[in-house]
Amino acid sequence: MTSYIVGYTIIILIVLFIVFCVLVKRRVLFANTPSMQKIFAHPLLFYSFRRLGSALISLILAILVTFFLIRLATPADNTCYKLFYDPKISELVYNLRCDNWKENMGFSGTMLQQLINYFYAILPFPKTLCVTEINVDLGMYTITGCRNFIFDFGRIYKLAGFTDGGFVWDYILPRMGVSFEIGIIAVVLELALGYPFGILMAKYENGWFDRIGKAYIISVDAIPGIAYYYIWLALLCSVFMLPMTYDADNFLSWLPAILTMAFTGMAGIGLWVRRYMVDEFNADYVKFARSKGLSESRILWVHILRNAVVPLVRTFPSAVIGALLGTYYLENIYGIPGIGQAVMVAINSNNSSLLSGIIIISALLSILSYLLGDIVTALCDPRISFTKE
Amino acid sequence: MATSKYRNQPINSADLNLELGAMTEYPTDPNEEVVMSIRNLNVGFTTRGKKTHVLRDINLDIYKGKTLAIVGESGSGKSVFTKTFTGMLDSNGFISSGSIMFDGQDIAKLTSHKEWQPIRGKKIATIFQDPMTSLNPLLTIGYQISEVLILHRGMSKEEAKKEAISLLERVKIPNAAQRYDDYPFQFSGGMRQRAVIAIALACKPEILICDEPTTALDVTVQSQIIDLIKDLQKEYGWTTIFITHDLGVVANIADNVAVMYGGQIVEYGTIEDVFYHPEHPYTWALLCSLPQLGTKDEPLSYIKGNPPSFGSEIIGDAFAPRNEYAMNIDFVKEPPAFKVSETHWAKTWLLSPYAPKVEKPKVIQELHERMKIAAKELARQEGDEYAEETKVGE
Repeated sequence: MTSYIVGYTIIILIVLFIVFCVLVKRRVLFANTPSMQKIFAHPLLFYSFRRLGSALISLILAILVTFFLIRLATPADNTCYKLFYDPKISELVYNLRCDNWKENMGFSGTMLQQLINYFYAILPFPKTLCVTEINVDLGMYTITGCRNFIFDFGRIYKLAGFTDGGFVWDYILPRMGVSFEIGIIAVVLELALGYPFGILMAKYENGWFDRIGKAYIISVDAIPGIAYYYIWLALLCSVFMLPMTYDADNFLSWLPAILTMAFTGMAGIGLWVRRYMVDEFNADYVKFARSKGLSESRILWVHILRNAVVPLVRTFPSAVIGALLGTYYLENIYGIPGIGQAVMVAINSNNSSLLSGIIIISALLSILSYLLGDIVTALCDPRISFTKE
Repeated sequence: MATSKYRNQPINSADLNLELGAMTEYPTDPNEEVVMSIRNLNVGFTTRGKKTHVLRDINLDIYKGKTLAIVGESGSGKSVFTKTFTGMLDSNGFISSGSIMFDGQDIAKLTSHKEWQPIRGKKIATIFQDPMTSLNPLLTIGYQISEVLILHRGMSKEEAKKEAISLLERVKIPNAAQRYDDYPFQFSGGMRQRAVIAIALACKPEILICDEPTTALDVTVQSQIIDLIKDLQKEYGWTTIFITHDLGVVANIADNVAVMYGGQIVEYGTIEDVFYHPEHPYTWALLCSLPQLGTKDEPLSYIKGNPPSFGSEIIGDAFAPRNEYAMNIDFVKEPPAFKVSETHWAKTWLLSPYAPKVEKPKVIQELHERMKIAAKELARQEGDEYAEETKVGE
């Protein structure tokens, strides 16, 4: 009940807010209050609305593509056979189990019915979804669990260490937490190292630090990722004796993954920071600032850095949001129970709803991070305006 | 290569004292107060490990409260020359010898940015060529002015804002108080150059270097900016160094003119000296190529050939290969500076007592009359423009 109230309240509030903003912009409401006009008719707000609208379309397309790809790549009957075939059980029981599985996984009925059911589950409005579990001995369907949802990705079957028929959400959310815990530390470290790295390289262009830095960046670029991760593994776990398998309670065991991510990411950030800084160093306004008598450090921190960072701020939101999704290789190498590992688990155990859930979540997050990137860039650069010419 | 009818006129170096009549010391006008004195300045650049000499033996006095125009074609070293006054040479440039005496010290000896800071902006301000790029695009105009006031004049933020607004008003930016928070992209080219001038004004500098401040602007805005600089100079009494290609601007604004060619000052004098009694063949060629001084029946004259490259060593007079009055010696020996009057000198062998009498180009001979005609024409055009403007106004 509460999720219905909360869900519909949120939907109503969002609709009301958009209607309110449009009315303010059309000058039906608060036509003569500049402060209200400034906030609720802000071009950035309407730009975000438009972008969210088009993001919704992209998301629907992404869902459609995932839906059909999964169904074409792994026909439900094949999966069913892999999961339930047992020479010891009768064909009747096999069929009952298979139909029950298809029903619960959204594979029953025609393709169109499946699609409609899928969208019904996934579209963000409150609904109640139930799992039916067959009691093989009685040959009867019994409803074993119902739950209220805002949006739902389906259920998981036959996965070690997880409730049979459990919801994808329940599987993904804690793993997202694990990925994020590690990812966000790595991102913060990556930014904290990458920016000074790039700035120093640009400041002492062609000096010894710049040369070492460039060599490092090239080495990160040139060595294939997976080989590079194992080099770090050897370095961190053999030389520095850090634990090689993840343990949620031991922070030291988080470090190999975090440090590998941070040092790899730092190279990419350093490369771009250096490139934009060097560009700006030669700009006319820097010469003018110098001729004004400003100190070199003021020119660097106030004038150059601000300009160099503008093209880079759009990567902040995607870096932070990307941390939610973890990394495929590192999580598998160090046995971290995050989203990256879940992808492999989903593929190996034929859990197509888990896989499509992860794909859709990552599509949603990347659309969101693009939008946030645009907004952050606009906030940093006064030259960008969102009014249509 | 220009053909010269004086090519075969030798000044035999063997038995003559070539330095006869040459100046031993550069004259300083006793009636003026010297604010900056440049002696034997040589500037070089290192490109790909090779040293080139870009400014060669420059001697100049800059007088307080006066306007010095530095003219010459692209690549003659005008900008490099003024950059040495604020230590703004590119990182591969260096002063190889010579002195620049300013404010009781030899600023040619300063090396670090730190040593330059009290001079830059505070005592010597610079206005660059392109106002579109000389302001930081991400900081407000107001911030960029206040920044200087806070730094050099020790003002608080509020005082600086107040002063910045009055400076913007001073350079005739309408609604200065509202435009204080605008970003450069919200300003037109002319307004940006005004904002740049306001920044230069902020510290009441002793010397203002204007490095082709109007080149990037359209003609009507050009004259407004030049008038503004002139007015402000009268009010603040600073010294202006004006780098330009435009001899019309020079005539309008300058007290003294230095003509640069191939990294040297080839002729220096007051505006009357250089415009009415030019002695250097390069100055003649420059004046002859002014379209305003041409008459209908003669083809527009221009300087043939290319400016010298600094890659190889220049032997003799740098202008000799393009000089229609070049003599044998011009290709062999660099001319010293010959004094024409107390305020006027030129580096050309034509002023040597051994040189043949040359016939100056027709334009130069008729310079007075032609200038008058050009001035009349200009007045007529301006009158027309004025008439048109008033018509539009109606």
